[in-house]
Amino acid sequence: MAKYKNYLKGKGGEEMAKEFLMKKGFELVEMNYENVIGEIDLIMIDKDWLVFVEVKLKVGDKFGTPEEMINKRKLSQVRRIAESYLVLEKKKVKQFKKYRIDAVCIMLNEDDTIKTINYYDNLY
Amino acid sequence: MLTKILSMANIGLKTENVEVEVNVADKGFPGFGIVGLSGKAVEETKERVKTAIINSDIEFPTAKITVNLAPADVVKEGSAYDLPVAMGIIAAIGEVNLPKDKAYFYGELSLDGSLRHTKGVFLLALLAKEEGVKNIFVPRMSANEGSVIEGVNVYPVDNLTNLIRHLRGEKLIEALKSVNVEEILSDITPEFDFSEVLGQNQAKRALEIAAAGGHNIFMMGPPGSGKTMLARAMAGILPNLTEKESLEVTKIYSLTGNIPPGGSLVRQRPFRSPHHTTSQIGLIGGGSNPHPGEISLAHRGVLFLDEFPEFGRDSLEALRQPLEDGYVCVSRAAGSVTFPAQFMLVAAANPCPCGHLGDPKKECRCTGRQVLNYQKKLSGPIMDRIDLHLIVPAVDVNNLMIDKEKACGEKSMEIKKRINEARKIQSERFKKLGHIHSNSDMKNSHLKEFAKLSYEANLLLKQAVNKFALSARSYFRLIKVSRTIADLEKSEIIKEIHVAEALQYRVRNDN
Repeated sequence: MAKYKNYLKGKGGEEMAKEFLMKKGFELVEMNYENVIGEIDLIMIDKDWLVFVEVKLKVGDKFGTPEEMINKRKLSQVRRIAESYLVLEKKKVKQFKKYRIDAVCIMLNEDDTIKTINYYDNLY
Repeated sequence: MLTKILSMANIGLKTENVEVEVNVADKGFPGFGIVGLSGKAVEETKERVKTAIINSDIEFPTAKITVNLAPADVVKEGSAYDLPVAMGIIAAIGEVNLPKDKAYFYGELSLDGSLRHTKGVFLLALLAKEEGVKNIFVPRMSANEGSVIEGVNVYPVDNLTNLIRHLRGEKLIEALKSVNVEEILSDITPEFDFSEVLGQNQAKRALEIAAAGGHNIFMMGPPGSGKTMLARAMAGILPNLTEKESLEVTKIYSLTGNIPPGGSLVRQRPFRSPHHTTSQIGLIGGGSNPHPGEISLAHRGVLFLDEFPEFGRDSLEALRQPLEDGYVCVSRAAGSVTFPAQFMLVAAANPCPCGHLGDPKKECRCTGRQVLNYQKKLSGPIMDRIDLHLIVPAVDVNNLMIDKEKACGEKSMEIKKRINEARKIQSERFKKLGHIHSNSDMKNSHLKEFAKLSYEANLLLKQAVNKFALSARSYFRLIKVSRTIADLEKSEIIKEIHVAEALQYRVRNDN
């Protein structure tokens, strides 16, 4: 049950991130893209870039910042799925020459209101 | 913002400047990375620095932090980069301004922000003097090591908070007063006394000669005759370290982290007695990032090898070159490093596996082959490099029973006094030559000038060399030992009687 609750919370975070980025002028391509390798939270278009977005959500700062949760390993995971997406969905990505990985880190207060929302582009 | 801080790297005893560059970028995904050929302990610096800064009540920046240890082609090992990295970050976020004058920062951080005892501070102080850098900031526990170097201000740092206050000018840390070296070296009390060893007067005399001139000595005798006890008692009669020697020894001890927290100079001659299972690298030195071995740790002191034939053959034969040259050159893929190894070898062995060969009272139970195999370990080249060969016979029971007071020989202090006087004569003699401190350090070319033989002595020497077929090396070593015996008697010239005594220790009874 607790796991399901976390899943819903994460879904909420992705929703928030989507809205946040759409306001910035991004276009949504896919949300929660999934294949054998894993899942990407958001795939969006920013001008002539195809952007893969990792969303991290934390409630309170008891367990550290969401930024700390994105490490080398997580990054290479996202990269692998993104690469497989580029291969599997050739038709969709044909028009793009530039790709990048972004992150949205959201921190919530205990009452589920947004405390901070940080956006980082082009992680490597 | 970008900051640059000076620190030090070392390859063996060679030291080099390291520039610690810290960049705290305001753009980019937060992270903390260190580049510049850093070892495992340096990689872990990240965690220590981060926690220490947070625990010193400074907000750790959520930003992309990149640390570069330049030059990038020198391997950096150890934990001493904690302090420069931490100060770089604190300065980069504008909490403090770095000092205008060049200064070295060096030391390991604890998680609570305090500084821990770090090895190598003595080397840092030497480097600072060489480079003309006035100020060094080091952990308080290790600061005494640096304070013996004149002309360098050593700032002992307790923790990050104090250092920040100092740099802000709020509460200054006082630099340590430089210490008078001679004062440190003066008062030493021996821990073991020669008078506790009963009988064995010949052995005591031989050890006295060995200690006075720094000659190698080999003791052979049945088990329980007191070889080990004699060798250990020897630590108490070793002459005091001179200032120059002490600095040499301290350098090696600081490098290996053998100086206890709060200690400064090494005051006592090293006495190292490695177990016979010690590996060749442990004995000689080595490793991918070369470390000094036991022979270098025994520099200017005694290397005592008990149960000599039990050591690995390779280890023993590896001693040949350092025994002759007084240094050892360790070459590895990463580079070659030279360590000083001017030590005095004291070796002890049984004559055969059962230990009773030649004992008048107890029969030897070994077969001829066993004895041969055992003594094969004591190879000619090694034995040739040993100046004093000594038979330590079993002690007569009557000697043990005698009233303690009567049996007591000389106290260590009295022997030491004689030895110190002999050493004084020697250091007076070699004053002009920088690296030679005792008779055994003399090169053959020095003998003509410093070891003049009387006519009779010369004659005796010539006869002996012919009769016993002594090697050229033995010949020169004989003269050196005679020189020491003459010094003990304060004789300017080497007389017949001195050579005769030296000969008696030279000639092994098997040839």
